[in-house]
Amino acid sequence: MLRLPRGGLRPRLRSFIHTQRATPSSVYLDPTRSSDASTSSTPDDLSSSQRRALEAALRVDQAGEVAANYIYAGQFAVLRRDPAAGALIQASTYGQSFTQKKHLTVMNKLQAQHQVRPTALWEVAKIAGFGLGAVTALMGKEAAMACTEAVETVIGEHYDDQLRGLQGSTHPSLVLLRDVIREFRDDELEHLDTAVEHNSQRAPAHAFLSSVVGLGCKVAIELCKRV
Amino acid sequence: MTQLRTQLLKLAVPLVRQHGFTRTTLARSVLALPEPHAAPLPDSAVTTLFGEDDTARRTLISAWLEQGRTHMRSVPVEDVKGALLARLEYNVPVLVHLPEAFALVASPRVGVPPLDPRPAVQHAVSVADEACRAAKDVSIGPSWYTKRITLAAIYASAELHQLTSPQTAPAFLETLLDSASHVQSTLTEAEIFTQYVAKSWVAIAKNSGVF
Repeated sequence: MLRLPRGGLRPRLRSFIHTQRATPSSVYLDPTRSSDASTSSTPDDLSSSQRRALEAALRVDQAGEVAANYIYAGQFAVLRRDPAAGALIQASTYGQSFTQKKHLTVMNKLQAQHQVRPTALWEVAKIAGFGLGAVTALMGKEAAMACTEAVETVIGEHYDDQLRGLQGSTHPSLVLLRDVIREFRDDELEHLDTAVEHNSQRAPAHAFLSSVVGLGCKVAIELCKRV
Repeated sequence: MTQLRTQLLKLAVPLVRQHGFTRTTLARSVLALPEPHAAPLPDSAVTTLFGEDDTARRTLISAWLEQGRTHMRSVPVEDVKGALLARLEYNVPVLVHLPEAFALVASPRVGVPPLDPRPAVQHAVSVADEACRAAKDVSIGPSWYTKRITLAAIYASAELHQLTSPQTAPAFLETLLDSASHVQSTLTEAEIFTQYVAKSWVAIAKNSGVF
């Protein structure tokens, strides 16, 4: 029989929201902050090139989070029958956990806030992500971890580049965006460390696999900036 | 000179109602400056600032269309319908000049084919995008595109209808939006039903012991 905590679910929900306030992205998950200037406005004094750069950045970030969610879905679809690997994929700080889904939720809100066109390759990102996750998982748990390591390495560098581009921005929405990207970069690097801890570098043809996955990610980034 | 050109275009837009999308309108824009000229610009000055022949008229039409999008941002609306109705309302003062303006925009600048649909498509899509922004649309993924394409087609139809029957254009727009909404909800229900059937088949296949 399902037992609810004493006092119902509301105290846990409040505690959950309070916990999320500690991170920059939690502002987007707090309904009481939905009318803040930092979460509801977009700068209107950007030059055309700055505006295009902002739109490209958010488009790529959103597409990346879509692909990441589906990479882990593909890995889980193959590895779920393996008790250790399946649990790792699902319960670790990445994969189908709250963190990765939170990233996508926040990116969707950023897209709406800054009125950015999402990538036309949305469905391609989902299919390619799932395919990459499933194929590397079929090669083994270490290969799945190597895939994660390669993807998170590219994403970490990509977020670093974006942080450099946002230096000096003073509009509240861009200040918050900078903090969110920094938070997400740190999350992704944590995922990378976890992948290495779980023997990603023992994957068969690790260097080759990492190169191919990394190159694919870079090509996808360039495509999603434009399409 | 760019700043002067931009300023004159902005002053010319309100004059379209009286003088149409013509080089005369551009010439007379200097009469509306804070320190107005004594006489309209000579044609050579219009050519220098805005280009020869129809190029100047196309520039004026583009400025008028851009002003239309600005108008949509300034009018408080609650939904897409309100935003599109506001845009149709913007056409009303210059309706008599619009057929010629749209024909000019649809004519290719050089050579064949005889018709260039791209400016018309771009106009309809930009109006649809502005309407979605005004209504604070939060669509993501492919639905972002399908919503805008649908609204662009609806608006383009309503605008063409407005050229021949201005009084019934708002009602025509509302009818199209209601039909699109009905089609959308039918498709959504069909998708849900299809997913339900697919899941049922998967469950049946699993329980049959085939896999």
